[in-house]
Order: sequence, then C-alpha cells, then structure tokens
Amino acid sequence: MPFPTPVPTIAARDPAPAPQRGFDRRSFLKAAGFTFAGTVLAGCEKGAVEKAIPFLVKPEEVTPGTATWYASTCGGCSAGCGILIKNRDGRPIKIEGNPAHPLSKGGLCATGQAMVLSLYDSRRLREPRISGQTAAWDAVDRTIAAKLAETRDGAKGVRILTGSGAGATTLAAIRSFSAAFPDTRHVVYEPLSIAALADAHEQCYGRRIVPHYRFDRASVIVSFDADFLGTWISPVEFTSDYRAGRSPEGPSRAMSHHVQIESRMSLTGSNADARIVVRPDSMVGLLGGLAYYVAKETGAGPAVFASPAAPSPRTASGSPDAEDAMNLLPLLARRLAAAGRKGLVVCGVNGIACQALAASINDMLGNAGVTVELERPTSSRTDNDRETQDLLAELDAGTIGMLVVHGVNPVYDHPRGGVFSAAMKKAGLTVVFAQHEDETAEHADIILPKGHPLEEWDDAEPVAGVVSVRQPAIAPFGNSRSLAECLLAWTGERTGAREAIRRAWKSAVFPRQNAEADFETFWNASVHEGYAVVDPVPSGHHSFDASVVPQLPAGDRKNPGAGADSSSGEGFMIEMYPTVALLDGRHAHNPWLQELPDPVTKVVWDNYASVSPRTGKRLAVEEGDVIRIETGVHILELPAVIQPGQHDDVISVALGYGRKGTDRFTSVGPEWFEAVPTVEPGETVGRNMAPMREIRGNYVSSYRGGVSVTRTGRVRTIASTQIHHSLHVPEHLAPKNAERRPIVQETSLAAYTESPGAGRFETHKVVSMWPDEHRFTKHRWFMSIDLTACTGCSACVVGCQAENNIPVVGKDEVYRNRELTWLRIDRYYTEEEDGVSVAHQPMLCQHCEHAPCETVCPVLATVHSEEGLNQQVYNRCVGTRYCSNNCPYKVRRFNWFDYSRGDDMGRLVLNPDVVVRERGIMEKCSFCVQRIQEGKIRAKQEGRTVKDGEISPACEQSCPAQAIVFGDLNDPASRISASRKHPRFYRVLEEIGVEPSVGYLTLVRNLPEGDGRNG
Amino acid sequence: MGAMAERYSILRRPLISGDKNFDQVTREICAPLENKSSAAWWMTFAAALAMLAAGMIAVGYQLKTGIGTWGLNNTVGWAFDITNFVFWIGIGHAGTLISAILFLFNQKWRTSVNRSAEAMTLFAVMCAGLFPIIHMGRPWLAFWVIPYPNMRGPLWVNFRSPLVWDMFAIGTYFTVSLVFWYVGLIPDLATIRDRATSRIKRALTGFFSFGWDGSNITWLRYETIYLLLAGLATPLVVSVHTIVSWDFATSVIPGWHTTILPPYFVAGAVFSGFAMVLTLMLIVRKVLHFEDYITLHHIGAMSKIIIATGGMVALAYATEFFVALYSGNDYERFTFVNRALGPYAWAYWIMVGCNVAVPQFLWSKKVRSNVTMVFILSLLINVGMWFERFVIITISLTRDYLPASWADYSPTTIEIATLVGSFGLFFALFLLFARFLPMIAIGEVKGVLGYGKQPEGGRR
Repeated sequence: MPFPTPVPTIAARDPAPAPQRGFDRRSFLKAAGFTFAGTVLAGCEKGAVEKAIPFLVKPEEVTPGTATWYASTCGGCSAGCGILIKNRDGRPIKIEGNPAHPLSKGGLCATGQAMVLSLYDSRRLREPRISGQTAAWDAVDRTIAAKLAETRDGAKGVRILTGSGAGATTLAAIRSFSAAFPDTRHVVYEPLSIAALADAHEQCYGRRIVPHYRFDRASVIVSFDADFLGTWISPVEFTSDYRAGRSPEGPSRAMSHHVQIESRMSLTGSNADARIVVRPDSMVGLLGGLAYYVAKETGAGPAVFASPAAPSPRTASGSPDAEDAMNLLPLLARRLAAAGRKGLVVCGVNGIACQALAASINDMLGNAGVTVELERPTSSRTDNDRETQDLLAELDAGTIGMLVVHGVNPVYDHPRGGVFSAAMKKAGLTVVFAQHEDETAEHADIILPKGHPLEEWDDAEPVAGVVSVRQPAIAPFGNSRSLAECLLAWTGERTGAREAIRRAWKSAVFPRQNAEADFETFWNASVHEGYAVVDPVPSGHHSFDASVVPQLPAGDRKNPGAGADSSSGEGFMIEMYPTVALLDGRHAHNPWLQELPDPVTKVVWDNYASVSPRTGKRLAVEEGDVIRIETGVHILELPAVIQPGQHDDVISVALGYGRKGTDRFTSVGPEWFEAVPTVEPGETVGRNMAPMREIRGNYVSSYRGGVSVTRTGRVRTIASTQIHHSLHVPEHLAPKNAERRPIVQETSLAAYTESPGAGRFETHKVVSMWPDEHRFTKHRWFMSIDLTACTGCSACVVGCQAENNIPVVGKDEVYRNRELTWLRIDRYYTEEEDGVSVAHQPMLCQHCEHAPCETVCPVLATVHSEEGLNQQVYNRCVGTRYCSNNCPYKVRRFNWFDYSRGDDMGRLVLNPDVVVRERGIMEKCSFCVQRIQEGKIRAKQEGRTVKDGEISPACEQSCPAQAIVFGDLNDPASRISASRKHPRFYRVLEEIGVEPSVGYLTLVRNLPEGDGRNG
Repeated sequence: MGAMAERYSILRRPLISGDKNFDQVTREICAPLENKSSAAWWMTFAAALAMLAAGMIAVGYQLKTGIGTWGLNNTVGWAFDITNFVFWIGIGHAGTLISAILFLFNQKWRTSVNRSAEAMTLFAVMCAGLFPIIHMGRPWLAFWVIPYPNMRGPLWVNFRSPLVWDMFAIGTYFTVSLVFWYVGLIPDLATIRDRATSRIKRALTGFFSFGWDGSNITWLRYETIYLLLAGLATPLVVSVHTIVSWDFATSVIPGWHTTILPPYFVAGAVFSGFAMVLTLMLIVRKVLHFEDYITLHHIGAMSKIIIATGGMVALAYATEFFVALYSGNDYERFTFVNRALGPYAWAYWIMVGCNVAVPQFLWSKKVRSNVTMVFILSLLINVGMWFERFVIITISLTRDYLPASWADYSPTTIEIATLVGSFGLFFALFLLFARFLPMIAIGEVKGVLGYGKQPEGGRR
C-alpha cells in the first residue's frame, strides 16, 4: 500500500541541516551505489516510460504524493452544492461534498461526484470555431463586435439564453452588456423547468420566487409528484434535511410522515411512508380537493374554498383511481392541519394551477418561515418557460440580431427543439457556448468552448444569503473563456474572469455582510471556505393573495380527468422524467453516470418504457419487449420494463437519452466475438423523449395523454443489475414460512416505539468452531448503515467508483451480471395488497471476521488484517473465483477482461493511491484502506490517536443522508460503537456465523394507524 | 480329490470365449498394433483431432482475451469449467476401481477391461486437470497453488483451501494411477518387444519393459509390486472424489454445504466411471474384434455395478432432498425446491431421469445382453452424471442467499468448444493408446484363459 502522505523525518522538521562540505568517500559510495541500483532498476522497467519529465521548478502547493483540496461549487446542476476538489499532482481526481457548506452539508450526489470524469472528456471542445473553422479569440471578438454594432444599428435585439443558477458575476456582466446594447434580454431556460412554481408565487405573493423548502422542519410532507430526493431543485440538501427530520430515535421520535402522490415509482416515492398512485392529470383535482379539506380543517383557508365554485373533491373525480385517492384526502388534510406550521406540501407539476393550489395549502397551514421559507428563496431557480417561448417567437420573426446560448441545449431538450433549430438560423448571429458539439452547437455560427466547472471562475447563490465561489482546480484544457469574461470583452472591457468575479463580489456581495470589514479578507475567506453567508436580498413579497385561486384557468382546475386538455382521452398517458444520473441529458457523455444503475429500476445504459405489472400482463409485454408508443404526432419504439408501483394507465420514460455523440460509447466494454456493443455504431444511448413533452399553458409539461401502445414483437436487451426484485422468493418455489428472506428487517414507527426490537428477525445462537485468531488489539474497523436514512440515491456508488478506480464495463457486461462496482444498492419491492413498499440496501464487502472467502483461497490472496479488514492482495490472486462463489453476499468483483479505463485523458482521473487491477483477478470493497492509512499516518505525524470520524470511506463521506457510519469499534466513545449497540442494529445473514463487520439499522417506516398504501 | 480335478466348473462360466491358446491371444491382442490402421480408426482419430482443435482454439482465445469469454458472472463463478472437471475426475474413477479394488477382491473378469479402464482413467484425469488450470483468471500463475520453496518471504499456500487439497489429491491420484498402469504394462511391453519387427520399436519397448525376461522370479517380483500398488491405489479411489466434493461441502453456499457430498460423489464417480468404461469397451470390442475377450459376461458384470452405484446415487438424491426439507434451514430448503421446480428444473430432471430411471433398465437380463441397449444406456448415464455436477455446482450458485444477487447462467460458444475439446483430447489419447499399446492385458488374460473351463474352475 503506497502511503499517500510521506512521514516527515526529524531532519525535515528541523531547520536546514548543516551543509556538507565537499564530497566524502562514504557519500561517493552511496551516490555510486544508488546510481547503479537506479540504473539496474530502470532497466527492469517493463515498458519505457515516455515523457515522464520531472518539474524543473516545482509549483507551489504541489507536493507529489500529497493531495491538495480546493473548496468550490458544484456545476452538475443548478443546485450549487458546496464541494471540495481533491487534487493530486496538479490534477483533480475526486469531488467530495463540503462538510462545512450550510446547504449540502457534506454530501454530494452521484452526478456531482461524476463531474470530475467529464473534466477529462477528450471530446470536449477546445477551440472557438467560426462556421466550423477553428478560430482565435481575437477573430471571434472581432466578428461578434462587428455583428453587435450592426445589431444595435439595425435596432435588432440581443438575447442571452442561459440555464438557471447564474451567479452575481454573470448577472453583473449581463447588466453591463445590456447597458451597452439596449435591446438585450437574459432568458433563463431550464429543461427541467419549475417555472410554474415561480409564476404561481408571483401571482400569489407578488414576487417571482421559488421558496426554500425545509424538509428538516416538516412533520408531515405531502409531495405531489416532486422527486425532491432525486432530481427536484436541490436533492442533496433535501436528502440531508429529509433525513434530519426522520429520526425514529429520541424521546420525541421526530420522524416525519411522508406521502407521495405520483404516477410512477420515483426515488422519492420509493422512500415515502405512503404512496398514492394516480394519473398525472389527476394532480390538479387532488390538490384542489386537498385544499378544500385543509381549508375545512384549519378554518383558516381563504373563503374561496367554501364557495361552490371552488376546487372541491368533486372536481377531481373522473377516473376511478382519483376517486380512491380522493377518499384519502380528508385523512391527509387532517394530518396536515394537525402538523400546522410543520406541514409541508410540495408540488413538482409544472402547471400554474397545481402550484398555486399547493402554495395556498402551505399558506393555510401557516408554514411560511418554518417549512417554506419565502424570505430566503431558492434564488438559483429563475427558470422562465414563457420567456423561452417568447424568444422562440422572436427568433422566428427575425427580430433578433444575435443569440448567445450558454450551457443549455434547447434544440435537444426543448419540446420544440426542431423549431428552435430552424428559428436559430433566422438570428443574425448565433453564438453557442458548449462543452461538446451538441445538438444546439451544430446549428450555431460561432461555437465557443465552454469551460468545465472545475476549470472556471464563477459564483452562485443557490439560496438567498448563501453565496459561493467556484474556483478553477486546474488550468483549462481548452482555450475557453467564461460567459462573463466574453460579455465584458464584447462591450470592450478586457477583464479576467477572476477579476470580474472579485469586482462583482466587491459591489454586490461584500456589502451584504458585516462580519468582515476588509474585502480582501472576506474574499480570501470565501474562496478558502467555498462559500459565504451574507444577508439575503429582501424578497419583498406580500402576503398570500387568495383571490388568485378562483382565477386559475378553469380547464386546468376543474374536471381534470375529462377532456379539459389533450392529456385526457382514451388510452395511455406517457410521462417523461429526469433520471438521477443524467438529469435532462446534460451528463450523457459521462460513462460513470450512464452505467450508474437507476436507483429504482437498476437499469443501465438505456431508457425504456416503464409499465405496471398489470398493464404488462394485459398487453402481454415482458421486460425487454419493444413496444410502439404513438401519440398521434410521434411514434417511438422502446423496450419495456415492468415497474411495480406504476399507474396502470401511465407509461413513463426517462429524459436525457438519445444525445448526439453518445454513439462514442460503442467502444465501451471488452471486445470479443460474442460481445454486444453498448451502443450500435451510429446509434445513440437510448431515445430522446424531449419532443414528446407538451407545452401546456406556457409550461413545459412532463406528460401527454392520448397515447396508444402496441407490442412490436421485437425484443431489446435491457441491462439491469438485478434480475429478482423482491425479498420474497418466487411463490411456487417458496418453502412454507420462508417466503420472505430476513435480509431487510423493517418495522413501523409505532411498533418500534413500543419495542426497540421490533422488526428484528429472531436469530438463533451461533455456535462457532473458529479459533479466536483475530484479536484486533489496535483498531477494529466497522461500519453500520441506517436503512431508515438511506434513500437509495446512489451517491455512494459513484463516490466509490471515483475513489477506487473502478472502470465502466459496458452494457453487455452489466447484462451478463459482471458490473464491477464494489458497492451496489440492492432494491427490493414488497408487493402488498395495498401497494408496493421499497427497501434500498447498500451492499458491499461485509469484511467478515470469519470470512468464508479467506479459507478457500488456495494462494492466500485474501487475508484478514489485524484491524478487521478483509484484504484482497491483487498481485497474489490467481483468479480461481472460489472466494466469490463462497461469498454469501456476492460482493466480490472479478476482472473478466482487461477493462479499459478510458483513453489517455480519461485515465488522468485515476486515484494514484489505488492500484489499477488487471484482468483475471478478484477485487472488492477495501473499506477505502488507502484513506484509513492516510488517516493513521496523519495521526501518527501529529503524535495522537485517530479521532472518531476522521477516517471516512468514500461512501460514508459522500452520503447526503449520513446513513453510513464508519469507525473504530475499539474506541468505546465512537459513533460506530454506539451504533453497534443500537437496538435497531442487525447483521445480514448473521445466522451463518461469518461475523460480518458491516451491520444495518432496521428500516422504520412512519405508518400511522388507518393508513393504506395505495397502488 | 483326483476326480474333482477332472471336473469342469458348473458355477463359473468361462471369461474368454472361443477356444484360444496363448499364441492366439497374443496375436489377436497385438493385431491392432501390428497391422495397418483401419479406415475407421483414421476417421475417428480425425474426428477426435478436430474436436481437440476446436477446444484448443477456444482455450487459446480465452487465454488471450480473458475468462470473460466464458458465460460466468459475479454470482456464478464456476459453471462449465468445474462441472467438466468433476465430471472427468468421476470418469477417472472406474479405472482404479477395476484395476485395484477388483484385483484385491480377486475378480478375474477385470483382466479383460482393466488395461483400457486404467488408460481411460489417466486420460480422464488429464482432461480433468486442465480445467482447474484454464479456469483461473491468470492461469500463467497456476504454479502458485503448489507449495514450493520461493522467494516471496513467508508466503505459502493456504492449506485450509480445498483447492490445495484438490491439487494434492489429483496429483497423487494421477501419479499412482500412472505407475500402476505402467507396471501392469511391463510384461506386455516385453511381448511387443519380442514380436517387434522394426529396430526402433524393439529399442523403445525394450527400454520401457526394463529388460523383462519372463522368469519366475521376475513374475514373482512383478506380482508382489502389483499387489502392493493395488493396495496403495485403493484408498485413492475413495479419497480423490471425497476431496473434490469438499470443494463444495466445506463452503457456506446452500446446496454445496452438505455433509453427504463425499460418499455421494464417490458413488457417483464409480457410477459414471463404469458407464464410460462400458461406452468405450462396447466400441472397442466391436471395432477391434475383441468380442471373445470382452464378453456379455463382462458387460453384465459392469451393468450390475452400475445398478448398485446408481442405486446409491438415487439414495443420495433422496437423502439430500430429505435432509434439506427436514433441516429447517430455509435457504437450504429453497435451494432444493429450486433445483426441482426452478428455472433450471430441466437440468435437474435430466439428471434424475438419466441417473435414477435409466439404470433400472439394466435389471433386465435381456437388456444387459443387448449390446446396443447397454451402449445407449451408458451414454445416457454419462449425460446424466454431467448434469449432476452442473446441478450441484451451477444451480446452487445461481440462487443463493441474497435475492438481489441472483443471476442466470448460460454457456458461451467458447465454453461449449472447450468441453468438446476435452472430449477430443480424451478420444485422441484413447485412440493413440489403442493403436500403440495392447488394449487388453495379454499376460493377465492368458492367466484366465482356463477360467470356467479347466480343472478347479481354472482357479490356479
């Protein structure tokens, strides 16, 4: 094991040693000896080392073998989580959550962590291009300046189209650009739009804001199709808060009750205590009904709900399932009313009526300032669907002189992308900043390389009052310039990106705080910490305007199930959703994310049509059967996946697939004659669903009705990491009383309150014949995973992959059940009469004390350490796979081929502390032994013992829910020692006597009496 | 007792039919060695070589590309490879049993088949031995499982691993079987030497027959050492397959972790070994015209052993199932129900059909005396015994403890070609053996020529 941190010797700590005079005999012999040995060793090298040139002048900060950490802001989505970038030898190799960050609190999602790999994407654009020809920035600036002058003179407009989350600097630059070119507008386009949420608040509260939701303070959460643990607004922060509000422990047992109303099985729904499964077009009726009942319960509601014209339970009827759901509303309303200020209703439907109703319920609950923070809004989200539509019209009308597109890809992900690409041509000049030559960029006149978030200066204000800096962790690979820098340059101002951000902060951020008097100190502290907490700009909203509610578009509110919009009608509905990994498709070039099993379906490398088991049976469709989906406008063929918990009328398909350029992944995975390429040459990974989305009442809607589905009779391979999805063994094979395996042990909050051992399966006494050979006198590493906290978000999976140099293996290998990830999340459905409940169980090497793998290895390639680790000695392994066969947990991973770790550039992401494994050997979770060593060495250097929590494996570090606790069982004060003694603690397959060093805390669901779990 | 000496036995039927004298025996058995090879031999040899070539290409490709060219996966780490290994080891059991145990029990009928059965053992063990080597992820490091003085500090093999025991068991078995077979071959090599027409042949057989002179003292010493070796080889018949079964029995996987496995495997091995001996002998007696030497009596005797061992195997199946259901171990119970009714039930029922039902036909004397029928039945038993190993090894792995890690298995072309190749190797070696060495122990057969015909029933 290479030691990441060199232990300084006494000499190094002392002041400079006395200089030696001359060169004595001993020194000569030493030098000669080393030279000789060095020459001989160099001769032993297998291949010639080319271009390994040492630093002539060692850069400051870079010490070979030592990591440098930089605080920054994640650019994976607009949530703007705080990150720490780990640099080794001058290159970023890992992104971790910043534990000090007030919002994300140390966790980071799978997408955010995978961003480090996209930095080394060799297909990223490097140079500006004018009409396809590589050009210098000078030429670009000249062309644009000329065009801008022409635009201004021709009284045409300039439009800047960006995604959400632009920080103070970019906004300042846009402002000063607008000053120079008067008809300039900044249009914010977000493919996963929540524009209706903002617009509803504009109508109800007079300000276009997205409130900051506080799931940690909620005791009852009712979510209408908001996948807030997966993809909605700020999943990392929400996961952390959600967990904080759901502890079954303590005298108060402050565990929130979470009801998810949705039509597909989302990650959030899979964690809900109760799910109500309805068609997406029933949402507005249900919200109206809930508002009606909440008004009745609280008595505080606007009078409008008392009037007969108001939304009421009647308006939601139309489909039988909505009827069922409607019957649950009084109970739900009672619970919300009882929770009062601690009740929270969130709504993920991008429709103004839904959002206004949700806001009205929140207002009736009086939760403003508690679970819904209006004065501290989510300032990163300024999505505006209407303005995007207007822009399209303007472009079409030919009134736009110049269009600047930065970091968004509307041609691909806008429902009217095709129209957009045609309209773009009508602008005088289109300038697109893009990382790849994507769907939008290929239609541009000028393509400018957009820097990766790890190589750019930028800033963000995810929530009002939390400002954060994004600093480059490496010099840009390409010749890129930030948007702010460009805009300033085009107004004739040459300012570097860093200077621009400093200036913006000095004028717009620095005055919002009193803690520091000196800007330099404030700036340095902010860059060092990665964020600063300042006073939020007052949002200036007024109190809830109830008069809005009756004015909601009638068709949208009333009779939602019966012909009010195109969504209704016979047949199926299709629902499009973003995935946890790819979101809207912006990460489609990232192989880690493409191969990340979907947290719910566990499928990789494809999108597919999820159908309910009943519908599957009705259509005689099984997993992998290709079905034809016809909307009247579009025809699409997709393989089916049978999804428990899905509405029978709804087919759901992921967005973000079918991206241009993903045919590059045809070469992913081993090459041999029976191998099936991950992507057929010339095809893309999955199909693009964006055009299937509908624009309904100015908003991009995620669903569409009137869809017919037919079987094609063809079959397409679906690569999933699980083939059996239940804890129950197949019915016809089940021995009596052993239908369900005690792998996941779960209980309800009520039962747990009554008896701490609730839900635990009885274990019999394990008689051991093992000699007491492991004494563990120093450390005894141990891990526990709280199944109540784990949401299955899969952040740990990517964290592990990044830390441990785990290659992607391709679709065919996953299909053959040869995924290499050391940590997997097992997902089990339990189908009950009243619905489906889901359990997520992270499964990794259990580091058994009596490890079955260790006894069977003929060559001692897997052995126990004196600290309780089950170690795999790669260079000793001959690859009999006996250890894996004998592993009850099947967590060992085999290198079936020499898996490629990407091209030369892709390999720069490798962690130098972890060996890259060759083919034919076994590997598995090491408890991040390199991180354990690093922590031990640091403690030793500082002359102390290891502190609890100081050593943290990548999975524990990345977990937004802090579900994983790792530590030393020999330290009685450690968190893990407490966890080990916890009444909820159990170990999987304890009865076979392997004494695992990983335990789980039982899954507790908050199921109040009288609740059903619908569909 | 003089009158008795004149009487012919009515209890013992002759082992060798036809009224043969010593010279005739020598000529007939040496005929395949001294005549030109028949067209049939060439054709079968070419077919065997083609199969071998297919296997070699497959293995070469696998070594070059990676073990991923097999259908294995994270859950099913062993399938065709170890199934084939155990299958071939099982085949190899009949040889030693026939030559050593039947020798000790003074079963004279063994003399007609022991040479071939022993050769079969050697070739089967060679085939078996290939699989543990090529199934490794890094076969070029296979020697690491051998404890030899090395420069890697205290690094040694893991004596707790059944794979290390396997290596010793199979190594010992192969060595002893080879020596036993070779020692038995010495008198016949001398016969060939004496009949040789070419100088090379004479020199070679002369060298390998150690200057055999056929004197009484040589015979005496020969028989002493043969008896000793038989004694030495006998425990190996039991030990090898017992140890092979420990690969599974000492594990924690339901369906593998079973104490019944050692006797079950040994019985199965003898069962499959005799089936294979029958398969080969029936071809040999036909092609090489050894009907007088391998008579219906021999076939009947071997059939009876098959009935007996088949019964043991059936008992083992039933016991295993009963114990699983009776154990109260839910995983174990599921594993067995899954074998019989799960996705691989077809494999289980092939196994039961071929190993339990098929041998029952042999109770009928009519069937036993119908060479074609016996041949077909023996083939079916071979198939059944291959599936037995597949059922135990693969099906157990596909559905183990955690439902999330369940996986299916299907072989790739490479695996099938490798299995075909192992048969190619086996047949090629056997055909070469038939061409260059006496298939029947001439010296021993001469000793039983008078069995059932001569005074005292020929028992001298």
